[in-house]
Amino acid sequence: MQSKRLGTFSLLCSLALLVGFSDAATASAQAPTFTVGWSVYAGWNPYFYMQKSGILKKWADKYGIAIKVQRFDYAASLDSFVAKNIDACAMTNMEALDMPAAAGVDSTAIIVGDYSNGNDAVLVRDNLTFQTLPSKPVMLVQKTVSEYLLERGMVLNGQQAQLGKLHLINTSDSDIVAAFLNNKSNEAVVTWKPLVSQIVADKSVHSIFDSSKIPGEIMDLMVVRSEVLNTPNGQKFARALTGAWYETIQQVAAGQANALKYSAAASGDSVESYKEQLKTTALFVSPKSAVDFTDGPEVQQKMDLVRLFCFKHGLLGQGIHSVDDVAIAYPNGTVQGNKARVRLRFNSAYMQAAEQGKL
Amino acid sequence: MVSGMSTPEMTAGLHLIGEQATRAAAKAKVQAAKSISIEDVSVSYALERSARRCVLENISLEIEEGEFVVLLGETGCGKSTLLRMLLGQERPTAGQISVAGSRVERVDARSGYVPQRYSLFPDRSVLDNLMMGPLTSKFHILGRLRPSYWEARRAVKAEAFRQITHMGLQASDAGKYPYQLSGGMQQRVAIAQALMMKNRVLLMDEAFSALDPSTRSSLQRLLRSVWSETRPTVVFVTHNTAEALFLGTRLIVLARESKDDACGSRVTLDMKLAEGGMTLRTHGQEFLDLVEHVEAVSCGQRLTAPGERRTASDAWGEELGRVEPVRVSPEDGVRQ
Amino acid sequence: MTNLSPFDIQARPNRLLAQALSCVLFVVCIGLYMHTSVERHKENAEDRVVPSGHQLVAGIRSAVLEPAEEDDYIPAESASTWERLRHSMIWKDTASSGGRFFISLALLIPFVVLAVHIGLFPWFGAGFLRFFLFFDKIVALSLLPILFIAFGIDQWSKIALIVIGVAPTMILDVTQMVKAVPQEQIVKAFTLDANNFDVAYRVVFRQVLPQVINSLRLNLKPMMLFLFAGEMIAASDGLAYRIAIMRRHMGMDVILPYVLWVALLLFLIDFSLRVINRRLHPWFQA
Repeated sequence: MQSKRLGTFSLLCSLALLVGFSDAATASAQAPTFTVGWSVYAGWNPYFYMQKSGILKKWADKYGIAIKVQRFDYAASLDSFVAKNIDACAMTNMEALDMPAAAGVDSTAIIVGDYSNGNDAVLVRDNLTFQTLPSKPVMLVQKTVSEYLLERGMVLNGQQAQLGKLHLINTSDSDIVAAFLNNKSNEAVVTWKPLVSQIVADKSVHSIFDSSKIPGEIMDLMVVRSEVLNTPNGQKFARALTGAWYETIQQVAAGQANALKYSAAASGDSVESYKEQLKTTALFVSPKSAVDFTDGPEVQQKMDLVRLFCFKHGLLGQGIHSVDDVAIAYPNGTVQGNKARVRLRFNSAYMQAAEQGKL
Repeated sequence: MVSGMSTPEMTAGLHLIGEQATRAAAKAKVQAAKSISIEDVSVSYALERSARRCVLENISLEIEEGEFVVLLGETGCGKSTLLRMLLGQERPTAGQISVAGSRVERVDARSGYVPQRYSLFPDRSVLDNLMMGPLTSKFHILGRLRPSYWEARRAVKAEAFRQITHMGLQASDAGKYPYQLSGGMQQRVAIAQALMMKNRVLLMDEAFSALDPSTRSSLQRLLRSVWSETRPTVVFVTHNTAEALFLGTRLIVLARESKDDACGSRVTLDMKLAEGGMTLRTHGQEFLDLVEHVEAVSCGQRLTAPGERRTASDAWGEELGRVEPVRVSPEDGVRQ
Repeated sequence: MTNLSPFDIQARPNRLLAQALSCVLFVVCIGLYMHTSVERHKENAEDRVVPSGHQLVAGIRSAVLEPAEEDDYIPAESASTWERLRHSMIWKDTASSGGRFFISLALLIPFVVLAVHIGLFPWFGAGFLRFFLFFDKIVALSLLPILFIAFGIDQWSKIALIVIGVAPTMILDVTQMVKAVPQEQIVKAFTLDANNFDVAYRVVFRQVLPQVINSLRLNLKPMMLFLFAGEMIAASDGLAYRIAIMRRHMGMDVILPYVLWVALLLFLIDFSLRVINRRLHPWFQA
């Protein structure tokens, strides 16, 4: 009798733990409710406005589903997406490859929202150049587009051989501005806007390389889990989200006061500062421009550079022995890598539908 | 000796040493023989709202070299406060205190000290506890690096072993830590530790109060015999009348005459005791009468004239009904 | 019949059963983990969130035998296992984190000495106690930008973070211990002709030392926490640095062994401090 009670108790404990693990996943699969995660970035802030203005609800209602939008820290949003707690997430092409895709979560990019056109920059003090950079410590968030940008900068400046000599200091983005500016002995930093603007406010710091020199290589995507997309409700979700997105982004691009106000407020920036960030963000305002870019040959070249970078840095995981093991499929049917192991898909169908007004 | 019982001072129940006039004159003369002098000492603490609580009021005492003074009184009468002032741990609000010829300003090595508890350093063995005094007085913290330290240590160690056997402990106890010793053994070591300093003044605060009766009585006998060898000045604080009568050569009772905060304890009894100690067995009725008298005085009461003293059996019956029962074991006169 | 009621204070569980019971939660945790891992791998064979035994072994192997990514690769054929171990990722990270940890530990010593003074010497108490009472309530992490200005972003800002985070608590703790030393001991020491420093170091400090070590044992985890916070914010090596980097691509196969390794290290430090304490202070009973 007594021992039975004890048994029940431990059973309850384990049940509680199990439920904690699995409830989020099951709940989203059963109800026609979908969750979108996003984090603070010039190209993603409009999601905040999209929700606040009711545009999202309008589109969701049209398709008879519910869509929730949740703001995360960037890393946390990726973790949640990989753990299947959310159905769609805003991320860069690089993270789409090395987080969900490399972790075996088949993902599809349904919106190519923009590419960084100067948002990310390599900043230095004292006339440092790529030739003299390798001997100095460089502060950056390692294994992100910042490191990618730095390497591309080195390569494009003929310093490929020096890559191994870079001394990188992994610095959290929340402290990188203070840490860099407060000590004159820190001579180089790689980061993104609005942090870049805060750092270059110091006159002794200037940019020697930024993402406008590698246009289209750092893309910002809306990624949906392929298994969600393959259900009828999931397709409704993708259509609703795409429709809402283009309505939103066109208002932002047209400079509508509320759209700008809310988008700026999403990251706590002033409207001025947000406009400045948009200048270095190449937004695909019309669905057509996005479709043209996604369907074009350039994307494959850019993705090739990115996937080689990821593989070289072990971002595809310990178990991946070839860069082709995390393959990428493009709208025209070509596959980069092993055809049996497609993990990341670019799908322009929804953007096309938006272009044709069929949403 | 015990005839002190019937002196006029005794009947008055109050005897303050000296008088203001004669004291000043006698001062220079007795200086050499005087070990402790307490002059007009008062102690009071500030309470809230500018009220003060007086603990001791105008205490004046002269204690001579070689006296064994027992300070007796009820809990809270300030006897421990007085002892702490003799040590230098507390300072009087008014008046002054001299020990061994100079004013007491702070705790120093002029007197030895045996408290009721925490009398030994728990982190040192018995031997180290005993050696600590003589060694620290010669070699302070970094002095132990000097080569002469080890030579001195050997000498002190031999002396420490002498003390160990002297105190009735085994040489094998030398390596033990205090927690491995019984309470009685700990106090033996504590006394030895104080004696190692060869002080002429020894201050003991309820040193035996935490011990069981039989241990207590054997320690009392030990203390008496140790004292009679070198006859240092001892001030022994206790609340046990039988212990006081057995140990002391002089008994001082502190008591408060009113419950009023503004009124502190005074010396209400100061008498010479029989050299060699009083017990029920050796002094019989006299002892019982004295116990009764002293206890009445320490309660702040005055005993009636000596003629009205009751017989032993009467006294017992009275005591049982009136105050707490007084059980005096015939063996050694220890009251439990 | 043994009494098996879990809510009986007077129950006397038999030894074997009690031992078995103490393992139950471990087994449940491992079981739950394995179950989750198997379930997730059924759905996605490449799942990294809850790595399988296989993945874990591969992760451990690469952490223990392969050099960190930023270091030169050592081919497996040309080096002995020992050499590979010496140049491995986990060795490098442990050495650099350990260095920071022990430097901060050493830097805590002067603070403990200061605490003895604060508790014992009235003027020290007057000067320092209130300040540390206040300083103790400051959340050290929020001072990071200031630490970066004062100590740069290298080693010393992390060490300063640990020391600033732990020292005030230690100081207050030790001050309390010192004040709890019975007054009798101090008075007695003075009657034995001790001077102030004898009393401070040879009486009081000796007596509180075992308690100080115990307090340090309790503070090991906060120290590690501060070290991790520091390393995650800015570093180029260290255990937490690796975990932060691995998080970028969900390298749980390496993170989990690292987490267990840190737990083991902490346990070993704690255990050795306990043994040292018992050896050094046989008189201390607590």
